[in-house]
Amino acid sequence: MDTVTRRKFLKLTTGAVAVGAAAPLLSIDQIAQAAIDRPLPPNTPILVVVTLYGGNDGLNTVVPYTDPLYYSLRPELAYKQEVVLPLNAELALNPAMKGLKSLWDQNKVAIVRGVGYPNPDRSHFSSMAKWQTGSPAKHISTGWLGRWVDSQPEDSMLAISLGSVLPPLLAGGKRSGSALPLGGLIIPKGDLATQCQKLSKAVAKDSKLMAAAATSMRNLFSVSTSVQPVLKGPAPVSPDLPTTNGGNAGGDSNLAQQLDVVAKLIAAGSPTKVWSVSLGGFDTHANEANAQALLLGTVSDSLSRFMSQLKATTRSNDVTIMVYSEFGRRVLGNGSDGTDHGTAGPMFIVGNSVKGGFYGEQPSLKNLYKGDLAVTTDFRDVYATVIEKVLKSPVGPTLGTWAGRVNCIN
Amino acid sequence: MQRFGFGPRPGEYAQALKVGVDATRTALLTVPAVDAGAAQVVEPEITDLGKRPAANSKEIVPFAIAQRYQVEQMTLWWLDRMALSDHGLTERMTWFWHGHWATSVQKLNYAMPMFAQNKTLRANCLGNFKTMSRAMVNDGALQFWLDGQDSTSKSPNENLGRELMELFVLGVDRYSEDDVKAAARALTGYLVDRSSGAVTFNLKRHDTNPITILGTTQPLTGETLSDLLVAREDNATFIAERLWYRFISSTETMPADFGAKKAFAGRDISAAVAAMASDPAMQDVKYDLVKSPVEWFIAACRALELTPSQLKTPSQLLNYLDKLGQVPFNPPNVGGWPAGGSWLSSATAQYRIAFAAWLIKQSKLRGLLEIPVNSRALKSADWLGVSEWSPRTQSTLRASLSDPAQFALLALCSPEFIVSA
Repeated sequence: MDTVTRRKFLKLTTGAVAVGAAAPLLSIDQIAQAAIDRPLPPNTPILVVVTLYGGNDGLNTVVPYTDPLYYSLRPELAYKQEVVLPLNAELALNPAMKGLKSLWDQNKVAIVRGVGYPNPDRSHFSSMAKWQTGSPAKHISTGWLGRWVDSQPEDSMLAISLGSVLPPLLAGGKRSGSALPLGGLIIPKGDLATQCQKLSKAVAKDSKLMAAAATSMRNLFSVSTSVQPVLKGPAPVSPDLPTTNGGNAGGDSNLAQQLDVVAKLIAAGSPTKVWSVSLGGFDTHANEANAQALLLGTVSDSLSRFMSQLKATTRSNDVTIMVYSEFGRRVLGNGSDGTDHGTAGPMFIVGNSVKGGFYGEQPSLKNLYKGDLAVTTDFRDVYATVIEKVLKSPVGPTLGTWAGRVNCIN
Repeated sequence: MQRFGFGPRPGEYAQALKVGVDATRTALLTVPAVDAGAAQVVEPEITDLGKRPAANSKEIVPFAIAQRYQVEQMTLWWLDRMALSDHGLTERMTWFWHGHWATSVQKLNYAMPMFAQNKTLRANCLGNFKTMSRAMVNDGALQFWLDGQDSTSKSPNENLGRELMELFVLGVDRYSEDDVKAAARALTGYLVDRSSGAVTFNLKRHDTNPITILGTTQPLTGETLSDLLVAREDNATFIAERLWYRFISSTETMPADFGAKKAFAGRDISAAVAAMASDPAMQDVKYDLVKSPVEWFIAACRALELTPSQLKTPSQLLNYLDKLGQVPFNPPNVGGWPAGGSWLSSATAQYRIAFAAWLIKQSKLRGLLEIPVNSRALKSADWLGVSEWSPRTQSTLRASLSDPAQFALLALCSPEFIVSA
């Protein structure tokens, strides 16, 4: 299987970042220091963006389980009625998404159906670039949340992506979000450390680039021992999960690790309003069923675990999660028990402030457009809603004049 | 020496200083008939592995191993050429063009088409750009990478046509969206055999109607389209801009009178490179460049007298390069690798230290140890081709005189070495 992993994809899409400002890399200790010095004010809304790389098959995520066309169009791939998790008389969740189903039952999940953009592009890289830049018609080098960062007072902690490479999503024109390598940085010790620190001192004759090289070394050492215990400690306890920390299914996946770090830092008061996490591997051209179920299970388990962890903090009502992928997949299966690149797919918005339910029209299986699902909701409708309702900012600087909204957040 | 090659081997920089700038420039720009250093690198055996076997078949495992192995061998082969070449310019220019016509093996998954492309780039690296551009339009790896094989007169795919104008020949905003559609039509009809990279042209899939593009109308093929684009004034501007960006400064903009542009009038790449080498900007300290991870690694190999393929182990080597964000044949996207400050994060600082320590362990450090201890803190600049150490770095190096391995590590991770003045 030609898997597009998150890392591979990031490598394939970060050209846009390079032309703008260099992405600052943070250490956990820097964030911790900021969390102590200037914590995010209570009740400040926080956005967590979850990117599913590779093109998630929307039809097998939110399944039209009573539509005979679903069964006749993809006989090898369709989920049987008795295994799916029904949400209403027409749609059901993938059997692996029990955690998300439970959040749905608590009215905390909005499912926006048929999301995409005009003239769908079936290239992973181009389509993800359109989603992340928020500009489907014209290729631009800033991300929609990067432009939001541009519109805010300068703060390197404002928007943070987990992983060492910054996604274009957070690349702004003037400044960018920051990247936090998972697992933090390994810092030299002993005499080598002393000498490296000496080497990291800026000198008057340094050119801009030499000074930047020195700074990058210095940042390695900006560690404050007083704050380490806060963040090297366990993640917030999940009161309603059978095990308190790290024991539930899927907990060892990379997404769960990323969300663990986010939960810790939110709990600690990091002055961060936007977090970006991701999971790769959704490019299921072949042998799709098991691979996708495994991944969706990870998404579902990680999100419900994250929501539970937040319950133990004062910020559980402040956090809204947005989940998307660069495209859905072709309705018909291909010859190898998989699906090829398609168009529209569902988005999930999760949080205590979310008005649970369905939004947008479910794309018809009868009226396909060149074998693909029709786009019924523009992703900018969702972005505009998130900018206004979660980030409490005007839409203009980020998306220009965009009228569409999805009324799914209180 | 850093910019037109991959950095000096022990003794070379001191020798260059002795013979002077002009003689050194001439030597750097004159491609010798035989490059004994590069010639000792044995070509890997890259074969056509054919169609991928079915997912659960018996053949799939050996196939996947062979696929991986060939890509690894090809990558090591090129790194060896860069590290062992007596004359750096050919490999340096091949490297430049690889980043220009950026094609990734990640989509192809086969080494053979990439290997063929590498040879095409090397053969044309200092030749005529018109010839190079035609050759690239017929290159299987590039065609496949940009979906050329899916482009037919019935449904032209715009990927290759757009990038040909935007990234390879003219530069962004020097054409309209209609020109993109027109270029796509001109480029229809190519078929690519993915595993071998063999390109064939099928007239039945090609749009033979007259095509209106950039103000002219005529029937076009990929090759005549390439000629038409290369003949435009914008092509000289664009190639001069790209040379400036990669060889002089990725942060300062190119002055309009940059000599390489005029020298490129006949589309002679070597003339443009020669003009650039004697441009006053080359002497100006404000134009400095960050060594990309591969450039830093090769410069280190040359100073440490290491052969990339002999390092233990090659997979560890490729892992380090991957962590730093640059593996040959694997650019991040069709726009090539970033430049400048993007290579300077605390994460890359961390990986660079670990990488340097790993390399130093495998070197005898001859070039460093031959310098008498009492002058080592100063003279080690010559060893690495650094014009001079700052007082900061000098004092840091002095404190490690008793520990040559640490001394070498600090020198390789110093701002003066990471950034080529």
